[in-house]
Amino acid sequence: MKAERWQEIEVVLQEALDRPPLQRASFLDAACAGDDELKAEATTLIAAYEEAGDFIEQPAIAQDAYVLLGDDNHIAREIGPYRIIERLGAGGMGEVYLAQDTRLSRLVALKLLPVYFASDETRLRRFQSEARAASALNHPNILTIHEVGESDGVYFIATEFIDGKTIGELMREQKLSLEEILDCVEQVASALAVAHAAGIVHRDIKPENIMRRHDGLLKILDFGIAKLLEPQTPGLLNETAAPLTQTETGLVLGTVNYMSPEQARGLSVDERTDIWSLGVVLYEMLASRLPFSGATRMDTMVAILDRQPAPLSEVAREHSLSVPLLQSIVDKCLCKEASGRYRTVSELLLDLKSAREQLANPAAIKAGPVRSRYFSLPVMGVVLLAVLAIVGTMLYRRSVRLRQSAASTAAVTAKPVKPYAQMSERERLEFVAEQEQRISAMMGERPLKLDENAVLLIKKHVDRYVARMNPPDGDESSSTRATYKRARPYIPLIARSFAARKVPVIIGIYLPVIESAYKPCHESTLGGKGLYQFLPSTARIYGVSRDEMCDAEKMTPAAAHYIADHMAELGEDAQSVTLVLLSYNRGAQWVRDSLRQVRGTENYARNFWTLLANKDALDEGFRNETAGYVPNFLAAAIIGENPEAFGLEGPALSTLAQ
Amino acid sequence: MKTLSADNLTALLVEWREGDEAALESLMPLVYNELRSIAHRYVQRERAGHTLQTSALVNEAYLRLAGQNVVWQNRAHFFAVTAKVMRHILIDHARRRRYTKHGGDARQVPIEEASGMSLERAAELIALEEALDDLAKLDERKSHVVELRYFGGLSLEETAEVLKISLMTVRRDWRAAKAWLYRRLKAEEA
Repeated sequence: MKAERWQEIEVVLQEALDRPPLQRASFLDAACAGDDELKAEATTLIAAYEEAGDFIEQPAIAQDAYVLLGDDNHIAREIGPYRIIERLGAGGMGEVYLAQDTRLSRLVALKLLPVYFASDETRLRRFQSEARAASALNHPNILTIHEVGESDGVYFIATEFIDGKTIGELMREQKLSLEEILDCVEQVASALAVAHAAGIVHRDIKPENIMRRHDGLLKILDFGIAKLLEPQTPGLLNETAAPLTQTETGLVLGTVNYMSPEQARGLSVDERTDIWSLGVVLYEMLASRLPFSGATRMDTMVAILDRQPAPLSEVAREHSLSVPLLQSIVDKCLCKEASGRYRTVSELLLDLKSAREQLANPAAIKAGPVRSRYFSLPVMGVVLLAVLAIVGTMLYRRSVRLRQSAASTAAVTAKPVKPYAQMSERERLEFVAEQEQRISAMMGERPLKLDENAVLLIKKHVDRYVARMNPPDGDESSSTRATYKRARPYIPLIARSFAARKVPVIIGIYLPVIESAYKPCHESTLGGKGLYQFLPSTARIYGVSRDEMCDAEKMTPAAAHYIADHMAELGEDAQSVTLVLLSYNRGAQWVRDSLRQVRGTENYARNFWTLLANKDALDEGFRNETAGYVPNFLAAAIIGENPEAFGLEGPALSTLAQ
Repeated sequence: MKTLSADNLTALLVEWREGDEAALESLMPLVYNELRSIAHRYVQRERAGHTLQTSALVNEAYLRLAGQNVVWQNRAHFFAVTAKVMRHILIDHARRRRYTKHGGDARQVPIEEASGMSLERAAELIALEEALDDLAKLDERKSHVVELRYFGGLSLEETAEVLKISLMTVRRDWRAAKAWLYRRLKAEEA
């Protein structure tokens, strides 16, 4: 149609629309005399106009507001009465923003909790009660909590805004004087004394959680918050402990350097864990190095449980005069067994005061140690065994029974391997079915005999990988062979990260095959990035900035954490690893809703295969896109666990995790 | 996203008025932030059951930006940019969303909050975008009216202000455009 013609049509259309509907037909007859096309155009347009109703009457934002909110930028956003001004930083508990309280026009620090928080009601309730308890604490050295609230599904904590630096920042910038160090520890200890008296343990005392205002006043941040980060499920070694007090090693995304031995072991903690952590901070300030550290988190945890820190006389020479006094205080904070530490912070405060007095009067120092000197008894043997047990058992989350079944099915592969390429079609199907059982068992899933369609679906994916085994068009990097070769160096990191979150390690090994082909910086058109194809917004929630998304060291623990959260959200359904995988792809809520839809089917089992068998009851997204996700994963695992059968170099990927 | 100084912004706005699409790109971050804020308040009010007046929200956004020493040419100018950016964002999103459908084997977004847009909605937006482009070839002003009203959330009055035409003309343009677009999309569906 030409513009001129349209103008003619429009004139007729407008005139017709100006008339009452009943007169339009006769008007058109007259106006379009001899021009049938004009009449047809006008008639269909009028009909369209009358039928259109609400069409485009509601602005797009009415439907698509969530698209805009899906991004990760909160600046200028309003949350309840708070308008966000700028981002201050991020921690394990979400992001912190500088915001203005529009009611009182005061500045506040606004912490936004990760979205996954809101999906877990138990955790949410715990969060609210903990944060409210903490907000009742009134002490000059404790950051004041103004409000704990929710607005449009976003949970937040508004606290006073401190314009200052954390002790961590100060330590990196300058060497602190002995006077400053003791003052700092005293301020923190006096705040802890108040909190402990109120029954609140901080659990995450570390330099980054202590701020110094410009006038020298210290503020402890995040009281009572650390506990909320810890998963609620009982640990492996403490299943007999009281359910309400037991917590696993939380804060796994944060540093472990300040963790007490009981935290590292996943035991219940009390106020003495704060005394330990404060001892670590004191040591670090004096020595300018950490008392316990290692190349990996696990190494650090072993050091915490097992090693004695270098004596201050070796590492804090500039404070030599005061070393004997300080060493006794540090020793009594850093006793491996809580019972050997100061019983209360008040005891520590007394020793600190006494030390300060003696330091002010050097002649008195030679009089000997401050008070009773305590020599901690190393509990090395027991503790080391415990660590090994944790590391060992954490590889698989499942019960012993299931792991035993895994071991027995694993034996199936002991027979000589016939290359997949040389198998008949029938043999291939049998091989895929048998290997699926084995992989499922390794994942802790109760193996199910799959129907033929399911086996065919997995085999289809296996064949696709086989077809891409060698460079298709000379592009070596996209071949299956290259993918598995790239995977190998990442396995130890994956094993550590996933074991720490009690997520089956095998999930961590094969997700990157199907998500990114183990290209650490792979970026999909959907905005997914890195080994595990996180979106930047999700990565940020898990403490990884956009710039860090190619960094496997950052992304791998975040992926494990993300899956662990999904598992927590799935609750009992997380027993089925196929559902866990599906929740990675579609979200836990979708998985739960879908299970609900197919409940009541014959031989109902809460797993992916039930969903697949009843896929007609599910949404189009599942039928078109998602149904292949788990079979694809299993295909990737079948290949990676049977390198010989597929002519790949090196051992089965999972063996590199051990 | 880089930040823009007020001077830069004014220059960019002038350039954009003169038809420089690159200038529009540079404005996007700033306007995007505003749109997010609008969207957020929209959702808040929707949940609270209030009557929805997007144009009021766009006005608020304008006042806030104007208060920040950002020299917009005028209110109408801001409205026009906002509508254009909104259209750009949504269509871009819809295209990416639709791509997944043809992306083959389970390459769905791994994280559920990724999209916020259904496949149906994405298809609808893309169809509307194509129709709107064709409408612009026939009658550019009508496509502007739709852009301002549908993507910018403007009222008939504000649309008239931006396009410097009478309210009556906007009304007539709107109904004709609506009929034309509806017929076109309906024909595609069939």
